[in-house]
Amino acid sequence: MRLNCNLKIPARVPQKEPVPFKEILPLRLKETVSGKGDKTSDVACLHEMSIMFACFKNNEFNQELCSKEISSFQNCYKDFQNKKNIKKRQEQKGILIPGEKNLTHKQLNTLLRRFPPQ
Amino acid sequence: MAPLNMVFGSVLRKNIIFNNAEVLYKRVNLVNAYSMYGPQFVEPVYKKDKQESMYESGEIENILHVPVKAARVDATCSVFHDELVRKFTNLVMRDGRKILARELIEEAFEKIKRIQLQRYHSTEDPEKKTSVLTDPLKIFHAALANSKPVLQLTPIKRGGVTYQVPVPITDKRSQFLAMKWIILAAKDKDPKVHFPEKLAWELVDAAGNQGKVVKKKQDLHRQCEANRAYAHYRWS
Repeated sequence: MRLNCNLKIPARVPQKEPVPFKEILPLRLKETVSGKGDKTSDVACLHEMSIMFACFKNNEFNQELCSKEISSFQNCYKDFQNKKNIKKRQEQKGILIPGEKNLTHKQLNTLLRRFPPQ
Repeated sequence: MAPLNMVFGSVLRKNIIFNNAEVLYKRVNLVNAYSMYGPQFVEPVYKKDKQESMYESGEIENILHVPVKAARVDATCSVFHDELVRKFTNLVMRDGRKILARELIEEAFEKIKRIQLQRYHSTEDPEKKTSVLTDPLKIFHAALANSKPVLQLTPIKRGGVTYQVPVPITDKRSQFLAMKWIILAAKDKDPKVHFPEKLAWELVDAAGNQGKVVKKKQDLHRQCEANRAYAHYRWS
C-alpha cells in the first residue's frame, strides 16, 4: 500500500500555464566583470616562422642566406614580448590608455568604477 | 605586495591615464623587492668609450646627477675586458675556480692565435691572406654568432601525447645555448688532449661556420622544421 493514501498528501499537481516567474538572480548587469575568460594565447610570429622555415629548406639550413627572414622573425618575437610585458604591467594596475580597443578585465573594471552603470 | 600596490595606487590615481607606454615606464620604476638599491639608482657605465659616446650623444645628462650602483668586481675598463668573454669564463668555471677558468680561456685564445697565424703564413694568395682572421677575440665572436640558434624545441603535452614544439627564443637564451654547446663540444675529447686545445679548435671551426657546434645548431633547426606543424601548440 502506498504511503500517500494514508497520509492524504496530495500528489504533485501538474504545472499550470502561465508559469509564474521567479527572480533567482537580480535582473541587471553586475558592476564588475570577471577575468575568467581573459586568457591570451602565447602563440606569435607563426607566419614569420613559416617563411623562415621555407627559406631554411631552400638553402639547406645555411643561415647566411636567410638573414633577412631570420631578423624579421626575431624582431617580430621581440616586438611581441615587449607588447606582452607592457600589457602585463598595465593589467596589474588596471591603467587605462586612451584609444585602446582590447581592454583587459582590470582595465574594464577601473572604467566601470569610474562610470558606474545606472 | 598589497601595501605596495596601495602606495602605487594612491600615487597613480591622480593621473591614471597615460598617453603612451613610454610615459608609463618613466613614472613607474619597478624595483626588485629585496634590492639594496632604491629605484633612483642606475647601473654603472664602466667602459670609457661608452661614457664618451654618452657624452657625445647628450645621453649622459640623464644620469649625471643620479646615484649610481656600485660596479661589480669584474667590471673593468681594461682593454682586455669583453662582456661575452666574461660570461663565457663564468660558464667554463667549475666550483668557483675563476682563475683557472680564465687561464684556460687565455690558453685557448693563444692556441687560436697560433692556428690562425699558421694558416695566414701557409696561404700564398695575397687576397686570401687578408681574409684570415688572426684576432682570437674576433674569432670568438664569430664562433658565437655562428652557433646561436634561432629556435628551440619545448615538450608540450596535449591529450596525453608530448609534442616537441618549436618556439622562438630570446637573444640571451640563444647566446647561452651557443656557449653551452661550445663548452660541451670542447669537453667531449680524448683524455690526453687538453681542454684549451680542443676549445680553440672548436672556436676556429665554428668561426668558419663548420664543425660540431654549427652542426648541432643546424640539426636543431632541422628538427624544428620537421615539427613545424605543432608550432601553434603553445602554453594556452
